[in-house]
Amino acid sequence: MREFNFTNPSTLDEASKILKTSDSSSALLAGGTDLLSLIKHEIIDPENLVNIKNLNGFDKIVYRKGEGLKLGALVRISDIAEHQIIKDKFTVLSDAASVIASPQLRNMGTIGGNLCQRPRCWYYREEFDCIRKGGDICYAYLGKNKYHCIVGGGPCYIVHPSDTAVALTALDAKVTIYSNGDYKSIPIQEFFILPEVNYLKENVLEPGEIVTEIFIPEPKADVKSKYIKFMERNAWDFAVVSVASVMNLSNGKISSGKLAWGGVAPVPWQEEQLNQKMSGLSIDDNSVEEFSKSLFENSEPLEHNEYKLILAKNLTKRIIKEIAAD
Amino acid sequence: MPQKIVKSKIIFEGEIVETIGEVSTEEYERWGANENLKVVGKPVSRIDGYDKVSGSAVYTFDKILQRMVYARTLRSPLPHAKIKRIDISKALKVNGILDVITFQNTEDIDWYWNSSKLFDPHLRYQGDEIACAAAETAELAEQALKLIEVDYDELPFAVNTKKALESDPEKLTGFKKPDLFTYDRGDFSKGISESDESVEDTFTTPVVIHNPTEVHCSTVAWDGGKLTVWDSTQAIFSVRNAVADSLKININDVRVIKKYMGGGFGSKLEAGKYTVMAALLARRLGRPVKIYLDRREMNLAVGNRPDSHQTLKVWGKRDGTITAMSYKSFGAVGAYPQGAAANWPFRTMYKCPNIKVEDQNVFINAGRARAFRAPGHVQGVFALDSIIDDFAYKIGMDPIDLRLKNYAEVDQVFNVPYTSKLLKEAYSAGAQAINWDLRNKIPGSGNGVIKRGIGMASQIWWGGGGPPAHAMLKLERGGYLTVISGTQDIGTGTYTILAQVAAEILEIPMEKIEVILGDTGVGPYAPSSGGSQTIASVAPAVRDASEKMKSKLISAAAAIMEIPEDKIKYNNGEIESIEDPAKKLSIADILKELREESLLMNGSREANPDGYTTNSFGAQFADVSVDTETGKITVNKIAAAHDIGRPMNQKTLENQFHGGILQGLSYALMEERVIDESTGQVVNLNMHDYKIPTVKDVPKIEIIIVSKSDDLVNNVGAKGIGEPAIIPTAGAIANAVYNAIGVRIKSLPITPDKVLNAIYKFN
Ligand SMILES: Cc1cc2nc3c(=O)[nH]c(=O)nc-3n(C[C@H](O)[C@H](O)[C@H](O)COP(=O)(O)OP(=O)(O)OC[C@H]3O[C@@H](n4cnc5c(N)ncnc54)[C@H](O)[C@@H]3O)c2cc1C
Ligand code: SF4
Repeated sequence: MREFNFTNPSTLDEASKILKTSDSSSALLAGGTDLLSLIKHEIIDPENLVNIKNLNGFDKIVYRKGEGLKLGALVRISDIAEHQIIKDKFTVLSDAASVIASPQLRNMGTIGGNLCQRPRCWYYREEFDCIRKGGDICYAYLGKNKYHCIVGGGPCYIVHPSDTAVALTALDAKVTIYSNGDYKSIPIQEFFILPEVNYLKENVLEPGEIVTEIFIPEPKADVKSKYIKFMERNAWDFAVVSVASVMNLSNGKISSGKLAWGGVAPVPWQEEQLNQKMSGLSIDDNSVEEFSKSLFENSEPLEHNEYKLILAKNLTKRIIKEIAAD
Repeated sequence: MPQKIVKSKIIFEGEIVETIGEVSTEEYERWGANENLKVVGKPVSRIDGYDKVSGSAVYTFDKILQRMVYARTLRSPLPHAKIKRIDISKALKVNGILDVITFQNTEDIDWYWNSSKLFDPHLRYQGDEIACAAAETAELAEQALKLIEVDYDELPFAVNTKKALESDPEKLTGFKKPDLFTYDRGDFSKGISESDESVEDTFTTPVVIHNPTEVHCSTVAWDGGKLTVWDSTQAIFSVRNAVADSLKININDVRVIKKYMGGGFGSKLEAGKYTVMAALLARRLGRPVKIYLDRREMNLAVGNRPDSHQTLKVWGKRDGTITAMSYKSFGAVGAYPQGAAANWPFRTMYKCPNIKVEDQNVFINAGRARAFRAPGHVQGVFALDSIIDDFAYKIGMDPIDLRLKNYAEVDQVFNVPYTSKLLKEAYSAGAQAINWDLRNKIPGSGNGVIKRGIGMASQIWWGGGGPPAHAMLKLERGGYLTVISGTQDIGTGTYTILAQVAAEILEIPMEKIEVILGDTGVGPYAPSSGGSQTIASVAPAVRDASEKMKSKLISAAAAIMEIPEDKIKYNNGEIESIEDPAKKLSIADILKELREESLLMNGSREANPDGYTTNSFGAQFADVSVDTETGKITVNKIAAAHDIGRPMNQKTLENQFHGGILQGLSYALMEERVIDESTGQVVNLNMHDYKIPTVKDVPKIEIIIVSKSDDLVNNVGAKGIGEPAIIPTAGAIANAVYNAIGVRIKSLPITPDKVLNAIYKFN
């Protein structure tokens, strides 16, 4: 770890300018739960650390009936997990927030940081000069890839580590980005990018761009939602596979629904035709089984992660049945 | 003469070890059951508990001295290489850097039993020491290390044990292939010809890392030509000897101190290179040096439980009589000489007259193995109790009945009786606690997505302790007692138990007893704290010293009260006249009469009984649920029933069992060092990727001690418990998983991916 400049800008614009002008050797610091370990382990080596925790107004949760929910980028994970309206109306999100890491990390980590956290691939976190770090091979591809992706991979095979991102994808959230003195809002599905687009980063953000807010539109009446995260141990673990679902039911059928998966792809995974196939699906064992069989037709498991396909299908069946039974 | 130097034998880790040492020849009346006792066996809280919980206890890691500097180590990034060139000049320019040592500017110091050097330019694994830098802060030292330029000649390597077995070992490490260990008993082909059925399987276990809470660390300081070393160690005398030999100074010029320790599990049984490097730096700089390893280094360079690839075959009759067994295994010792054998339980656990064993140690280019809580036994029992269960199911017999049918009454290797063996009692107590009858009679026959199963495994270990082990007592003004011994409390409760023993005999309240351990400059010799031998070795020495102190007090009272000694009795911490109980003296009174000088007494462990061997025994039972859609295993309950001699302290005993069982559960379900084979580098060097259980993964644990005391083994009747606690856990869980799903997972850890693969491929 080398010395760095620590700045405490008081406006978004100031922050953005420092980040932009000093280019890639600057890093934005929110809760620091990921950033500091990236620096300490010398995965990144910034010259400037730009602290945004002192910026006003980005730590609010605002719900407007009929419109939706706004989460400032500095809202803490624990605040999301405990918020009553989120629990009631956006259950999938509070579910996801409540199973992230540990209580200490949830108290420090912010939603903005959670979406922008870097991958957990163990080669990336150790001293391997892989593609994502500017090197020329992906060690995981032919190596120890039990935790890697089964869809959307190449030339890098990470899975996106964020739990909230999966829930927000199922909720069709929008991400607001401060960019060059202006704000833009994009669907969360467009925020994350596959390695084939750019394997050096996980989202569209350019230097100087800052996530300021997440917006979730008001859900349909009587919507039900849930998040199931499969971990190897019962706490303090990233998802091996997770699934988020938001759906409306009528007469033993799904009238409309959305699914998204974590732990299977370099981005929160969603397949539009599966969401369409869900409308009208009867909630009986056979139909759900049939439906789950059609998941991930384009998957390309690596040597050690074929089990994730079974796991993802089983968790999908489970989430549909559990939501129906709730 | 109550004290003698004798030759005595113990069977330790499968070998008869003869030691010549000083023993007490005093024979004391046995205590009987704990119900007869006042302090021993009771749930006494740790005497160091408050200091530890309040954070005021000073561990080695907390030791800070005036003018102290920090040292950090540069390690090989490559699995196998020779240093072509090393240049420290840039490192020495860092502001605050004080010194950098390498093989170029230090004398040759032998290491790993003369197979290598403290700094060896031949690097044999990722983590091998290259240089050590001292600076005003640890961060500056780390910064300097990064500026050391090293050019390497990269050499061929192997990190996969199977592949290494097939390659030329001299090309991998420069060492010769270790000799094959073999053992034969009886008439093997006759055994086979008598059998009706047989089962055979291969089981593999991973390399796992000790990861104690406190990292390896030392603080060292020279005072003239004398060196004091505060080290986080399980063996103060071994560290003293290694440091003195390395630095070529007198033994009594080195003093090693360890007060509190955050665990070792075997990884701290040897002196570390880091301690010697710190001593060298401290001598060169004339300042105290603190050195420590970080978590990454802990996962690379301070030992591990070696892996194993065990193929077992069991032949037997349809009535359950086992007639022959064969065992063939290999395991990786890492890059330097060490053992990886796991066959002892196989040779002794169950009765079998005809046996064949072959065990091969293999060098690989990865961190060297070290003793790890019950070396060999944890891996060995997993494989053995799995194949025994397989045989039971094959012939349709209750797995416990099969074990009872082949119950070994004597040690089959040395053909001697055990001082005690209450394994049958452990089977029945454990079976009852787990509801054995609820197991699936046909494995995997339960219904539903979540399948429940019950399984068990047996435990054998040594742990009877032995001489030489000494203790000293100092009784002072006011009746305050200090117990002093050269053993060490590695977090297991030794301080407390030794105080209890003295309190029991001298009837002095616990609050008046202080215990000083872990100081080679003060304490008389006691063995290293490994092998579950501490209490069984040292507690009898404390009893010996206490009984002798009691006699001394009686003689003092006789002189003061002018009554013959045989007319005096010791009663409740007071010394009174038998004829006139009103005439009495407290210990404080006696010391007052003695002008408040101190009374001293030495005590020693007695010799082990001739013609016996001492082992602890037990069985653990697991109740698990397996989610057949996710592969997730939940351990609902572990019932642990053990014969460990006398339980000396109910609380510390439960601590040991909880810790051992959790470590065993972790071994069964989670832990594994993962190495990338293309680069030879470890990928999971942090506590997030190297998984251990969290508090949410802890099952219900029930501990049942079936023994009251082993009166033959020593004067307190105790056998060790640290290792027995972990030995059968993984085997019991593996058998329970098989009982639940009807598919055997033959490789540890039993992770969800393996369960899913097994269920989906074989169903
Ligand atoms: C041991 C451990 C376990 C974990 N387990 C889980 C888990 O199970 N599930 C899960 O989802 N996460 C997990 N995490 C990740 C954790 O949730 C994230 O580290 C945390 O949410 C990040 O938030 P932060 O505010 O601390 O971000 P920081 O560490 O400050 O920043 C993280 C990254 O995001 C960037 N960033 C932060 N805010 C913004 C913004 N507003 N705009 C643009 N860029 C931004 C930073 O520059 C940095 O690159 C774990 C982390 C650890 C250390
Ligand atoms: S998966 Fe990506 S991050 Fe991991 S080794 Fe491959 S390129 Fe690097």
